[in-house]
Amino acid sequence: MKKLVLTVMAVCACLSLAFAQEKAADKAAAVKEFVIYSDKGARDNHYVPSGWMGDFGDIKLNDQATDKPYSGTTCLQFIYSAKKTQGQGWAGVYWQNPANNWGTKKGGFDLTGMTKLTFWARGAKGGEVLQKVVVGGIKGTYPDSTSVEFGPIELTDTWKQFTVNVAGKDLSYINGGFGWVATNDLSPEGCTFYLDNIKFEADPTMKPASKKQEAVPFYVYSDRSSANNHFIPSGWMGDYGDLKYDGASKEDPYLGDTCIKILYSGKATQGARWAGIYWQNPANNWGTVDGGFDLSKATKATFWARGAKGGERIEEFKVGGIMGEYSDSDTASIGPVILNKEWTQYTIDLKGKDLSFIIGGFAWATNIDVNPEGAVFYLDELKYE
Amino acid sequence: MFFKQFLQIIMKKQNILYYVLIISSLFLMGMSAKAIPRVYIKQFKNGHYQLIVNKKPYVIKGVCYNPIPLGETHSFDWWSSEYKPWITDGKLMKDMGVNTVRFYQPGENPESVKAVMNDLYEQYGIRSVMGHWLGFWEYPCPFYGDQAFQDKVKKEVLEMVNAYKSEPGILMWVLGNENNYSCLNLVHPWSNDEIDKEPDPQKQKNMRARIYYSFVNELAKEIHAIDPNHPVALGNGELIGLEVANEVCREVDLVACIIYRGKTFGNLFNSLKLTFDKPLFLSEFGADCYDAFQKKEDQNMQAFFLESQWRQIYQNLAKSHEGPGNCLGGTMFEWNDEWWKHNEYSPDGWGAHDTESNWSNGSYYFDIKAEKNMNMNEEWFGIVALSSEEKEYGLDKRVPRKAYYVIREFWKKPVLDVKSIRGKKAK
Repeated sequence: MKKLVLTVMAVCACLSLAFAQEKAADKAAAVKEFVIYSDKGARDNHYVPSGWMGDFGDIKLNDQATDKPYSGTTCLQFIYSAKKTQGQGWAGVYWQNPANNWGTKKGGFDLTGMTKLTFWARGAKGGEVLQKVVVGGIKGTYPDSTSVEFGPIELTDTWKQFTVNVAGKDLSYINGGFGWVATNDLSPEGCTFYLDNIKFEADPTMKPASKKQEAVPFYVYSDRSSANNHFIPSGWMGDYGDLKYDGASKEDPYLGDTCIKILYSGKATQGARWAGIYWQNPANNWGTVDGGFDLSKATKATFWARGAKGGERIEEFKVGGIMGEYSDSDTASIGPVILNKEWTQYTIDLKGKDLSFIIGGFAWATNIDVNPEGAVFYLDELKYE
Repeated sequence: MFFKQFLQIIMKKQNILYYVLIISSLFLMGMSAKAIPRVYIKQFKNGHYQLIVNKKPYVIKGVCYNPIPLGETHSFDWWSSEYKPWITDGKLMKDMGVNTVRFYQPGENPESVKAVMNDLYEQYGIRSVMGHWLGFWEYPCPFYGDQAFQDKVKKEVLEMVNAYKSEPGILMWVLGNENNYSCLNLVHPWSNDEIDKEPDPQKQKNMRARIYYSFVNELAKEIHAIDPNHPVALGNGELIGLEVANEVCREVDLVACIIYRGKTFGNLFNSLKLTFDKPLFLSEFGADCYDAFQKKEDQNMQAFFLESQWRQIYQNLAKSHEGPGNCLGGTMFEWNDEWWKHNEYSPDGWGAHDTESNWSNGSYYFDIKAEKNMNMNEEWFGIVALSSEEKEYGLDKRVPRKAYYVIREFWKKPVLDVKSIRGKKAK
């Protein structure tokens, strides 16, 4: 009898738990809003800002800042010092459920029905740049069902609302509800910024995003801290150990206050005898992610380059050409190019090219045979026109 | 009387005429026991291209064919093999729907080559695309900038054309394969005094391309003079260098491209239209069936890529609604696995199915996470496997892979709208 009672109780407990879970899932789908943060301790808050990434020692959070919240009594204040405490050059925070869940346990929410994520943000001074904000994208044993990136975004000193379009995305399992990333390049002096009213919304007018044709000029690199920069120099190829990249070199930039300095040692650290870098979107996208930009309006890609000594030989400068599940729609290149000691502008002709989907915004490659002593060279003003 | 005599004379003359006609006809019939079907490319008003064989549209549904047996290497003379692999393979090919095979270069013995071509054509209706390496593999490099080298290659090419142009199974000629890469100094780099004097490497590249494509243009012109019945294709790796070919190689009838772009050919068809507006024959494309990440054979992966590639080919044939209509078909790489390819200098390996990857290609994304991203397995491209345990008709037994059946079904009923397939599966 006792055994029977225990069994019944256990079944009831399981049923009620399953029912509760089902209800929770239904709730997310049925409601028109799903709040991540409205006020400190608000009952409808979901997710925890627990996923501190990169130079996490550079981040300070005050989750009950009372300094002019957008609404309610509190907002979130983040201070990013850009001190590279962990040597990464970037930092960020993910809102996770449960806390610290990097895809190792089942959690998250079914946000099916939501079409956008909105949040309000402002900088302490104005001009602060976040490299990106993200929805989903946590991998692991229990990966998020989608990954959406939005940015870079430049903040003003007054509250401004931002919207991330998630219409048409698979939101059936989202553990990383929201996240932001700042980089040392875009915020070399660090920054202080505020966030408030972060929430998902079911807005029926929101349609799935199709890539819009970007206006030209479209910069790959303008200056270290420019919000106009697109693509990340993340695709290090071949003897990547032979490369040093400085995206903030002040050694005689062609325009602005910084340029890119690249040191290629030619030591064949990985035994490949060649090396190169791809500028990608999103970072490290070797055709595995549906990212990139529609650059159909461009007819040429231009950049300025110079060698430290003159005579450095770059085998190829290239745009597009990444092949994968989501391949670049086209490619074009010039080379080999022997660099001058003075800044020289080079042009890659893009007339007649299909630039509707470009994830590899720019690339260069060289090798040890043509640079036996290695090479030091500079790039600036990389852009599509 | 006069009239009667006149009639008799006429009758006699007519008889003579008949005799002459009959004898001439018999002579001509004897000569043309192998009637040569005319092959040409038709261009429509909308710019689309279509291959015409014997007055009928012809879509090239083919395979690259090099039936090297296990334990042998590329120099093996299979053309003269007593086991006649083309007879066994031809039957399987015909059952699948293959109508064309591509040979990279004929064998040494013209009679053996003719026998292979005739067997394939007469027994199975399979036509032959005959290629020539244009000296690409000659040691130390192909000196396209040297007149003596050009003359030597030209002599070989014209001999080839003269030898096989009258075979009824011949479909077209392909000049070179990926020889254009030598112009970029990527493989088999070559030069001459004039190029060496040029300090700008980019200009050097263009000079080499101009020399090479001009040479191919000259070959095409001479082939046309001796064989007006078969088109001449420029073999080319990707579309690299074709902007130069557009200027100096107009004599070729079409481009035969080697393309490895994974699931789709991307903008290939439009790009060619804009760069060098010639018909396109995909002379080499495909996918391997070894998952270098999971370290096991994956026939589904190969079948998936090949079906998707054939779908794109069909979407770009003449009269298609989507593409520029400049594709004539293709020969996928390849009919059978070749076990010598991993290391041609190691005879021990010719009888072993090597699983070490030879090169990397992110377009074949299922196994790109393999160590050092090396995911392409050169010995695993066959749509039929070769058995090392069983012999059949004196040959390594042919074991068709999944791709064989998938492409067979696709050719029977090409489904170009992927969404409609998904819908059917959902039902």
